[in-house]
Amino acid sequence: MKMLVVFEKKERLRHVSHLDLMRAMQRALRRSGVPIAFSQGFNPHLLVTFAAPLSVGMPGLREVMEVPLSAEISEEEFKEKLRAALPPELPCVAVRAVEDRHPAPMAQLFAAGYQITVQEHVEEILAAIPSLLAKENVMALKKTKSGEKLTDIRPMIYEIKRLDESRFECVLALCEAATCKVELLMDALAAEAGLEARPRYLAVRTQLLGKDFIPLELL
Amino acid sequence: MKVFSADRLERLLDTVLKPSRYTGGEMNAVIKPFDQADVTFAFCFPDSYEVGMSHLGIKILYDIINRQPWALCERAFMPWPDMADAMRKEDLPLFSIESRTPLDRFDIVGFTLQYEMSYTNVLEMLDLAGIPLYSRDRQNGPIIMAGGPCAYNPEPLAPFVDVFQIGDGEEMMVEAIACVRKCKQEGLSRLDTLRALAKIEGIYVPAFYQASYNNDGTLAAFAPIDDAAPAVVRKRIVRDLDSAAYPEAFVVPYTEAIHDRIVLEIMRGCTKGCRFCQAGMLYRPVRERSLETLLSQAEKLENATGYEEMSLSSLSSGDYTHLTELVCALTERYAERKISVSLPSMRIDSFVKQSLEEAQKVRKSGLTLAPEAGTQRMRDVINKGVTEEDLIRAVTDAFESGWSTVKLYFMIGLPTETDEDLQGIGNLARDVINAYFTVPRSQRAKGLRVTCSASTFVPKPFTPFQWQGQDELPQIREKQARLGDILHQVKGVNFNWHEPELSMLEACFARGDRRMADVLYAAWKNGCRMDGWTEFLNYEGWMKAFQDCHVDPAFYANRVRGEKELLPWDFIDAGVTKAFLWREWQKALRAEVTPDCRKGCQGCGLKRFEGVCVDR
Repeated sequence: MKMLVVFEKKERLRHVSHLDLMRAMQRALRRSGVPIAFSQGFNPHLLVTFAAPLSVGMPGLREVMEVPLSAEISEEEFKEKLRAALPPELPCVAVRAVEDRHPAPMAQLFAAGYQITVQEHVEEILAAIPSLLAKENVMALKKTKSGEKLTDIRPMIYEIKRLDESRFECVLALCEAATCKVELLMDALAAEAGLEARPRYLAVRTQLLGKDFIPLELL
Repeated sequence: MKVFSADRLERLLDTVLKPSRYTGGEMNAVIKPFDQADVTFAFCFPDSYEVGMSHLGIKILYDIINRQPWALCERAFMPWPDMADAMRKEDLPLFSIESRTPLDRFDIVGFTLQYEMSYTNVLEMLDLAGIPLYSRDRQNGPIIMAGGPCAYNPEPLAPFVDVFQIGDGEEMMVEAIACVRKCKQEGLSRLDTLRALAKIEGIYVPAFYQASYNNDGTLAAFAPIDDAAPAVVRKRIVRDLDSAAYPEAFVVPYTEAIHDRIVLEIMRGCTKGCRFCQAGMLYRPVRERSLETLLSQAEKLENATGYEEMSLSSLSSGDYTHLTELVCALTERYAERKISVSLPSMRIDSFVKQSLEEAQKVRKSGLTLAPEAGTQRMRDVINKGVTEEDLIRAVTDAFESGWSTVKLYFMIGLPTETDEDLQGIGNLARDVINAYFTVPRSQRAKGLRVTCSASTFVPKPFTPFQWQGQDELPQIREKQARLGDILHQVKGVNFNWHEPELSMLEACFARGDRRMADVLYAAWKNGCRMDGWTEFLNYEGWMKAFQDCHVDPAFYANRVRGEKELLPWDFIDAGVTKAFLWREWQKALRAEVTPDCRKGCQGCGLKRFEGVCVDR
C-alpha cells in the first residue's frame, strides 16, 4: 500500500530547499509512528518521493508526495499521526491510500497552477497579460544543461487569469517533456510590458495537475 | 531606534546566503504569545545558526525557561556577514527566530560563551539589535546576561555584560529569570534589579567590582564596591543530574546543523585530571545519569524529533559506569528503526571493544582519538593517563571491528615540549598505520585514512597550566613546519593544523583582564567579527586594535605568571582551589602523574561543596 500525501509548505518555509524539505518530511514520518518502508542496503532510508521539487523561495499550497508503507493503515489514522508530527508551517492537507501499482505522481504530472503577486510595475505587468495571450509565439531564453536556448513557451502557458489589482493566476506546463518556470513567464510579461528587467513578485504554487488538469492526488 | 519590518526582511531573505537560517518554523520550536509572558528571554548564540543549533546548552536552557508558564524564551544567532551587512544597510534590527521580535524588546538578552573567539560576535549582535554595547550606556532596555564555560573568566567582557551566570545553569537560570520577574512586578530600578540578581549564588555583576593594577601591569586588587556583591562568586553545581531538567524535544532544524542528532548527556564532569583541560576542571564533580533516565530520554527525544542518529555526550564517555549496558540497550532498541548510536569524545584508555561492535551494528562513523601528545613523558606532563600500548590496542580493536578512518588529535606548544615530543607524534602515527596492516586483509575494512590534527596549546584559567605562557607565534610556526616535515615522511597520513594567530588571540582572551575589553571593542570597530571562521579572521584588525589600545598581546598570551600573582579570575570559586592547581602545575613540571580521583581523593577542593563529591 502507498499513501499519497498532500501538504502545504507555508510562506515562512519558502526558503527551505528541496533537499532540506525531504529530510524534514522523512523525520516527520519517522516520529509519526506510521508504518513506513525503508530501502534495502548499506544506508537504509525512507522510500518517499515527491511529485515535483519546489523552487527555493516559493511556497506551495497543495504539494504531493508518495509514501510506500510496510503495513496497512487507514487514511484517517495516517493523517492524524502525520498531522501531529508536522510543524505548523508544514501541515498535512489530505491523504489518499492507493495500491502499490498505482502510478507514481511524478509520472502523472502534467502542469502546475500558480498564484503570483506582482510587487513592482504592477499595472504594466497586469496590462500585458491579454496581449501576451493573444500571441502565437512567445520566445524565451530557457536555461538548459547545455546552456541557454531560445524556446517558444506559448504552448506551455495554458491559462493566465487576473485576480485583482496586484495578483494573477496561471497554469504552466510541468512535466518531463516541457516545463515553463514562473520566471520565464515573468520575463515574457516584462518584455511585453516594455520593462527592462523582471519585476519583483511572489509566486505560490497552488496545485499540481495531471492529465485533463485533474489535481494529481485525485488521479 | 531601528524598526522591524517583515516586508523588508522578506526582501533581504531573497538576496542572502542560506536564508532558512533566519526563518525558523522548525518542529518543536516553542511559540508563545510574546506580550503575555511576564519575562521574555532572547537566548543568543554568538555564532551561525548551524553552529548554535548543534549546541546542547541552548537546548537545555531554552526548554527550562519555556517550561515556566510565565516566561518565554526565543532564539537568536549571529547572522552570516552578508546578512549582517544587509540588515545594517536596511536598518533592520536583529530579531528572534520564533516571533521575529527585535532583541531590544526582550527583558533579558542572554549569550552563551562557548569559545573566546565569539566575543566580537557578542558586540556585533548587540549593535545589530541597536542595543548600546557598554553597560554604563544602558539606562533601560534588556539586561544583558552571559554564561557558559568562558564566563569563568568574564573580565574581557565585563564592561559589556550586566550579569554573568557562573556554573551549571539549570537551577540558576530559573532563579535569575524569577528574580527579574519579581523586580519587574515591584517596579524596581535597573540598579536594584542588578543588586537583587547579585545575591543569587553563581551570579556576578561586574559593575559592582573594581580592579586596580600594579606598575608592571599585573592586577593589584579586585574587590566589590557594592554591598549586594559577594567578594567571592561561587560557581553553581547541579547536585543531582538525574533529576535535573532535560528537554523531551529538540528543535529540529531544516538546514543541516553541524551536529544534527539526538544528544544524551550521560554524565557531567570528569575526574581524569588532564592538566590542559579546562572543561575537566570546571565541570567537576562527576555526576552520572541513570540508565533508566537515559533510556526514557532517548525514547522521548526519538519520538519527538525523528532523528536518524543518537550520540552520547560527556567529557569521558568511557568512564560512564553503565556504558556497555547503555550502548547495548540503545542499539537493540533502535536498530530496527535504523538509528545509529555514536560515541564521541572517547578516551582511548577506556575503550570497550564490545561497545564498539554494538555501536557499529547500524552505521559506522569515523573513530576519533585524542592522545594529545607524542611521547610518554609529555603525556605524563599533561597527566593524560594513556600509554602508547593503550592507543595501539584501541586502534587495533577498531580496525578488527571494521573501522578504517581514524582521526588523531594532538597539541603542540605544551609546557616543556622538545623536538623529541614532535618526533613522537610521527612515531605514533606510524604505529597506528602499522597496526592496521597487522590485521589480516580479510578482516579489516578497505581504505585506511589516518588524519593527524595538531592544535596549538592555549593556557586556560582554572587549569594547572593557567600560569604557563603560550609559545610565541614564530615558535609555533616553526613547530608546525617541523611536524609537517615529520608527518610528511609517514606514508598515508593527512596533517592539518590550526591558525596560530587565532590561538594567540584565544590565549589573550582566555586569561585577559578588563583591559582586554578595550582591545575587543577596538577590534570590533576595525571590522573584526566571526573570528573563529578562517575566511573572516582579520588579524590586521586585531593587531591594530592592540596597538591603538597600547596593550601588548604578549603580556596576556606569552608571559609566565608567578604563584603570588593575583589572577583576574581569582575572585571566582570554581570548585578546584588555586592551591590544588599550583600543586598540579609543579608536578607537571616534574612529569609526575596524578591518578584519577575515583581511585582516591586528590584534594582538588570540591569536597568543600557539601555532598557534591561522592566517594565510590
